[in-house]
Amino acid sequence: MRSRAERGNEKNMPSFVHPLLLWGLAIAAAPVLIHLINMLRHRRVEWAAMEFLLVSRKKHRTWVILKQLLLLLLRMAAIAAVVLLVAEPLLSNRFSRLFGRVKTHHVILLDDSYSMSDRWDDTSAFQEGKKAVARIGGEAEKQLQPQSVTLLRFSRVGKHGRSTQTDFLAERVAAGFSDRLKKVLDKCDASQTDAGPVEPLKALDELLGDAEGERRILYLISDFRARQWNDPADAKKHLLEWQAAGAEIHLLDCIDRARPNLSIVSLRPEEGVRAAGVPWFMEIEVANRGPAPAKDVAVVLLEDNVARPSASIPLIPPDRTAKERFQVNFPKGGWHTITARLESDAIAADNFRFYAVDLPADLPVLLVDGDAKARDAKFLDWLLNPGGAVKTGLRPTIETPRYLSAKPLDGFAAINLSNIDRLDKSAVAALEKFAADGGGVAFFLGEKCQSIFFNRELYREGKGLFSLPLKGPAELLVDRLEAAPDVRIENIHDGHFIFRIFAERRNSFLQSLLVQRYFAADKWRPPDDGSTSVLARLRNGAPLIVEKKFGKGRAIAFLTTAAPAWNNWARNPGVVMFLDLQAYLCGRAAAPSRTVGAPLEVSLDPAKYLPQVRFVAPRDAGGASATFDAAAGPDKMLRAALAETDLSGYYEAVLTRTDGAAGDDRSEDRLYAYNVEPGEGELDALNQMQLAERLKGLNYRFDRAAALQPAQNETRGDNLRDAILYALIFLLIGEQLLAYSASYHPAIPKNLLAAGGTR
Amino acid sequence: MSDPQRFLHPETVKRIARLDLRARYIVEGFLSGMHRSPYFGQSIEFRQHREYTYGDDLRYVDWKVWAKQDRFYVKQFEEETNLRCTLLCDVSNSMRYGNGALNKYEYGCTIAACLAYLLLKQQDAVGCVAFADAARTTVPLRSKRNHLDSILQALDACSPRDKTDLYQILRQAAESFPRRGVMVLISDLLVERKGLFKGLKLLRSRGHDVLLFHVLDDDEMDFPFSGPTRFEGLETADQLRCNPRALREGYLNALNAYLEEIRRGCAGNAVDYVQLRTSQPLDAALAAFLSHRLLKIQS
Repeated sequence: MRSRAERGNEKNMPSFVHPLLLWGLAIAAAPVLIHLINMLRHRRVEWAAMEFLLVSRKKHRTWVILKQLLLLLLRMAAIAAVVLLVAEPLLSNRFSRLFGRVKTHHVILLDDSYSMSDRWDDTSAFQEGKKAVARIGGEAEKQLQPQSVTLLRFSRVGKHGRSTQTDFLAERVAAGFSDRLKKVLDKCDASQTDAGPVEPLKALDELLGDAEGERRILYLISDFRARQWNDPADAKKHLLEWQAAGAEIHLLDCIDRARPNLSIVSLRPEEGVRAAGVPWFMEIEVANRGPAPAKDVAVVLLEDNVARPSASIPLIPPDRTAKERFQVNFPKGGWHTITARLESDAIAADNFRFYAVDLPADLPVLLVDGDAKARDAKFLDWLLNPGGAVKTGLRPTIETPRYLSAKPLDGFAAINLSNIDRLDKSAVAALEKFAADGGGVAFFLGEKCQSIFFNRELYREGKGLFSLPLKGPAELLVDRLEAAPDVRIENIHDGHFIFRIFAERRNSFLQSLLVQRYFAADKWRPPDDGSTSVLARLRNGAPLIVEKKFGKGRAIAFLTTAAPAWNNWARNPGVVMFLDLQAYLCGRAAAPSRTVGAPLEVSLDPAKYLPQVRFVAPRDAGGASATFDAAAGPDKMLRAALAETDLSGYYEAVLTRTDGAAGDDRSEDRLYAYNVEPGEGELDALNQMQLAERLKGLNYRFDRAAALQPAQNETRGDNLRDAILYALIFLLIGEQLLAYSASYHPAIPKNLLAAGGTR
Repeated sequence: MSDPQRFLHPETVKRIARLDLRARYIVEGFLSGMHRSPYFGQSIEFRQHREYTYGDDLRYVDWKVWAKQDRFYVKQFEEETNLRCTLLCDVSNSMRYGNGALNKYEYGCTIAACLAYLLLKQQDAVGCVAFADAARTTVPLRSKRNHLDSILQALDACSPRDKTDLYQILRQAAESFPRRGVMVLISDLLVERKGLFKGLKLLRSRGHDVLLFHVLDDDEMDFPFSGPTRFEGLETADQLRCNPRALREGYLNALNAYLEEIRRGCAGNAVDYVQLRTSQPLDAALAAFLSHRLLKIQS
């Protein structure tokens, strides 16, 4: 191991741009060799007049030797200067300090969001960025001044509880650094995140602190897409802070121009009941990010990794999106995947979209009726589960109001309350918790319903689950002169999912709906916060169907009966609306869309599962697995999280149940679809002028990453080439003068002198 | 227009292997280019009258003038005897140096041969001493025509070696040739100056006319060397490894100081000093010698 002193000496060693050429310094010994050879090869003259020669030598001996030595030194110095000139020496640390030069810290932020995977020819934006980083590191290694490098990729910034991971953090640049850097860069590839510059800049502030005693150069290597840089207020604020701290800022652009790109923006199920054996629809949305329309865009579809007929989108106008829907039907329950894929283009990451769904055999729906006869509940039960070959995917259960407070409700997909006169507080609380957790609740009113109870316990001045205060039952007067239907649906053609049965034009179903009796609202107007909306009104303007968002769930108040007591809805084809209503209320079952980078958290009941969860990465990424111990959360549930979700695809969580016999397979798989943020696929980029306009007030240098040539005074030491060149000129002039003075110039022939004189 | 002296250039002379032929070629070539005969008249020729003074030899009283004017005048004549010229030729090891057509030794010997040929041709007596640290060969003064062979053989036989000790040589010459004459010293003078000037002074005190031919190679004068060189002394054990261009300025300064010292020393001792480069045409020495003689006769 080398001592500190040795390392210090090494630091002070001069450095050269072409150190191998220093071997040429050996040529500086040539004048000495030539001198020695001349000493051996001298001419021998027998001379008579030695007396005068000896007198002359005695007189001039000192000067002659001195001149000879000087001449020899000058010639050696001149040769050495030529060698040094070619080797390009750099000013040493010692001198640099004299001139106030200090340690240089190269802080490199490398954008590795998936827009950087933009490919052209045989390179990509990220490749160009990596080359720029390698060049910066390589140049830093050549410097005499102490150099350090920090390299942070955008996607490595800590978030969701994950700590920031730098590739280099204030790493001292020593011999071999560029090789290490190259190895690190070789392993790097563009991520599938949409990470922007703000978070990395914030992270750097925390990581690096103040730049005491060092000169910092911040390199921001990115593709400067319009999406992130059109309004770069936050990024500009951080950059200005860097500037104020004395840092130099270099923006390195990795792309030469924006290229067209098609992105799958979404792949999601339409509203509806999603259960085994029930056909349902998926909707795919594709965005055209190019300047020309995209025609006949084929979307390859895979169901459980098995190809199915592709979807085709006939035309996507420039900078627009187009949707296409397709039907899926999985006969068996359990986890299923649906994958959509576009043809290869500039960006590969957004050509894929994944969807995973855990299909139940059917969806349990609770029907609670306040009437002992349960007329409304029975009607709904018949409607939701007609029996025979018809499969709705719903499994209704009729219970009394007492069930609400006695049994857990989280096993139900939706709860329908009909003709409720009153509920105890625990039932109301259980209902509200069910809705807040994402459940759907529908209220059907009837004769037994009490306005006072609804207003006091369920509405609670707008804080409760019920959406509006009730005044009391009212009759809808018949107006035979008016041809308008009894029910008026808001935005019928582009409206609510549950009214899609009425959405078609030339649809007469609505005309045949009759409502005789209903509960009138008590001087109520929908609040401005948008949480409550009237979906349908009666002819007289009174609200009939009102929806309220409650927590993660929803509650729909149907201000008349479900059964055909106060209306003829059940005798009308419009009864299909009740099925759609249930599908809508069961919407909680739809798997949430997860974005790459977000942690995968699995919650498990300690009573049912062992506290270990094995996570399996997407098979396309190698399918690596890791087992994590689940930790107890505040709600007594166990939670395990996978932080590394930087790739899109299907992640698998394997849980182990505690029940079952020892020999049984007790493992339980869960699938999670991770998708890229589609907005990152917008490849519109800002050019230098546009960027300058948006970063007005910030002093920075803008370069193309491909053309990065660090300026001499930035990454190099002080090159002495010019100084040596001047010194060489002076040396050569001095050598000539001294050689002339020492009579080492060849004698001019007399005939030439004579010729010159004659002229 | 062609250079009439092109045949006297060292490059041309070098092609003639034999020294006697070389001397003849040079002297004849030199003389053929002159309009006035350089031959001196016989020394019995009348020069002027001078009034008789006590002690004059009565044989030279011109009785014809006494008869006409009743005054005594004596007749004065030109030199009565033949010219005695001693050639002192340096054949020390330093004379071996030469980077041109002729080295200093060859150049000096060629000058000596030319002068001997010329003097013997006009019946003057010529002797020769080839020396280094001591006289290696001495040829006595003779005026016979075949004496040239002796001189040339003596020069030819002395290959350059050893150090120079000029004072000893000049002292020996003064003793060996007691009668006044002309001493022609041909050397590169890479010697200790004090001894040189002392020797010259001695010769002059013995009544000799001294003519000094200072022979130096172009390299020694210009020091054009470049590139790593090791200089090894020809007469000393000194060695010097250097870049010559670095020392050139100091060398030339030291050389010029030396030459200046030589010039002054020669002037101080009334010695005619002629500096010659081995690249110069060889008649330069002859011209210098003749002009020297003419000046002496006129004075």
